[in-house]
Amino acid sequence: MISRRQLVSGLALAPVATVLAPGLARATPSLRIRDIYLGGGEFSEAAHSLVGKTVMIPGFMAPPLKPDARFFVLTRRPMAVCPFCDNEADWPRDIVLVKLAGPIEWLPFNLPIEVTGTLELGTEIDEETGFVSRVRLVDAEVEQA
Amino acid sequence: MKIRTMLGLSVAASALAVASAAQAQQAYDQFSSHWYTDAQSRIAEIASRPVNVNQARNVILFLADGFGVSTIMAARVLQGQLRGESGEENYLFLETFPHSALVKTYNTDAQIPDSAGTATAFLTGAKTYSGSIGIAETGRLGDCAASQGAELLSIVDLAEMAGMSTGVISTARITHATPGSAYAKAAHRDWEDDDDMDPADIAMGCKDIASQLIDYQYGDGIEVAMGGGRSSFLPNTVADPEDEGRTGNRRDGRDLTQEWLSKYPNSAYVWNKAGLDALDLEATDHLLALFNRSHMQYEVDRAADVGGEPSLAEMALAAIQILDRNPNGYFLLVEGGRVDHAHHEGNAHRALHDAVAFDEAIKAVAETVDLNETLIVVTADHSHTFFVAGYADRGNPILGLSVEGGELALADDGMPYTTLGYGNGPGGLAPGATRADLTNVDTTDVDFLQQALVPMSSETHGGEDVAVFATGPWAHLFQTTQEQSFVFHVMAHSLNLLERAGK
Repeated sequence: MISRRQLVSGLALAPVATVLAPGLARATPSLRIRDIYLGGGEFSEAAHSLVGKTVMIPGFMAPPLKPDARFFVLTRRPMAVCPFCDNEADWPRDIVLVKLAGPIEWLPFNLPIEVTGTLELGTEIDEETGFVSRVRLVDAEVEQA
Repeated sequence: MKIRTMLGLSVAASALAVASAAQAQQAYDQFSSHWYTDAQSRIAEIASRPVNVNQARNVILFLADGFGVSTIMAARVLQGQLRGESGEENYLFLETFPHSALVKTYNTDAQIPDSAGTATAFLTGAKTYSGSIGIAETGRLGDCAASQGAELLSIVDLAEMAGMSTGVISTARITHATPGSAYAKAAHRDWEDDDDMDPADIAMGCKDIASQLIDYQYGDGIEVAMGGGRSSFLPNTVADPEDEGRTGNRRDGRDLTQEWLSKYPNSAYVWNKAGLDALDLEATDHLLALFNRSHMQYEVDRAADVGGEPSLAEMALAAIQILDRNPNGYFLLVEGGRVDHAHHEGNAHRALHDAVAFDEAIKAVAETVDLNETLIVVTADHSHTFFVAGYADRGNPILGLSVEGGELALADDGMPYTTLGYGNGPGGLAPGATRADLTNVDTTDVDFLQQALVPMSSETHGGEDVAVFATGPWAHLFQTTQEQSFVFHVMAHSLNLLERAGK
């Protein structure tokens, strides 16, 4: 028989992909940016299992590289500028490129947001900007957390 | 507020009453309390401490970027708490060094400095302008012409002239402000590779920082350079070995990693931890190690690095194996380069864990070298707007919410607050927003950003003095409050360096 304590610790260790954020449709799985990668640059099992599915990823909206862009960089923590990057395209590895379903209003870089879209994994170089991404949410919509 | 204060007083009063009752049974013996016995043994130890006036064989400068006194205190508490202790009573290893002073960090043109001007001050002995890499105060930021003839010799240059071995290590890019100032002369700290420079300045004869590490002209060349910043050493046509889809930055087609190997016999170039571990350091005379395209990882993120990175301690110990073979001794700069970056992000968790890793590197090195012949200096270039505030109880988690008198403390807006915060930065409020309620927030989380008063995309440096700690020959010269350039002069004095370099 499972004691209450075991049940609680079991819940705490449940895979993050099953944890639902409040305010979203219960059917949409969520994934934290920190849980996308394992060590050595490999994608996690949780990330692999959600490829091609509609996923919500919480994070922060980095300011757009261009004002009329239909994409933005979703960061783990607020990052208006990358003060230690060589150039605009040189962001940390653990970011998600968000390709938007439609035009949106840009939000302050330090406002927590939830982005829901279809998850893509694997290196892609944007033809227009040269921006290199390894994780993308496409056809995505943005909500304030 | 008044009611809360009164309540606090009444709690204190009843606690006092309980304490008085206990005292009636067992009086507190002030004069044999541990405060007295500990202080007496410290006085005895300090009073009998010999002053070491030997000529130093080696000097090791440990520099943590942005490691102000509030960061030292918070890192000290975190280190203790990570061991399960209360934390406040802990001493960082570096705080056990016998001598210390305060250091004024301003640049010649700035009340609150940047890391390039400060690094130039403590590495060349002359204060200069903000953003200068080894250029005197007569120069101007980004002015190539004004920099020509204003180049300063660094302690690395002078040590090489004196026949010593030299090493430069950083967890930041090896072309960044602090390590760059050890070997390069550039009017602007951003000139890390030729892609960062105006072609007109290159035509005028100014050189990018990465190329100066390879084309270095003093002595028999720098023996050890380890850190991040690989992209400044590879052509923009060459794929990066670690990051898929990325290349080097250089426009001039030079592969500086290959040039390093061609220039020096018995040399090595590695780009990951496995490469470093596989080296025979005893048979390596010149080592270039570039572990990341840009900066190396923060300590808490290091295990997840794609290519694998060594710790700061591992890099320092490897460097000493190479440098220590020179009978004339060595100068080694070891920079914990990313305390500063995490502070700029407003992320105390990463800043403090990098600070603890910095302390671990110092301990590992101090336990390896002979302190009778090696001067170790530990300091910071500048501080940050990082503060430690409130009236948190003894042992309260340093990254946590302030708990006072056993209860969650509330600000005048009725909401809790963290002990750690920033005067400005990304934790500041967007226009019109109200302070976030942290009641159910895990403020110890690795990605939590502390709240800040003034909203800014990047938290700024702080202008108050930083500390310098030292042990070994002539360490006792560090006393009272000094200009930052003084740090160089103690190191040079301990080595009799100017005379040995023919200056």
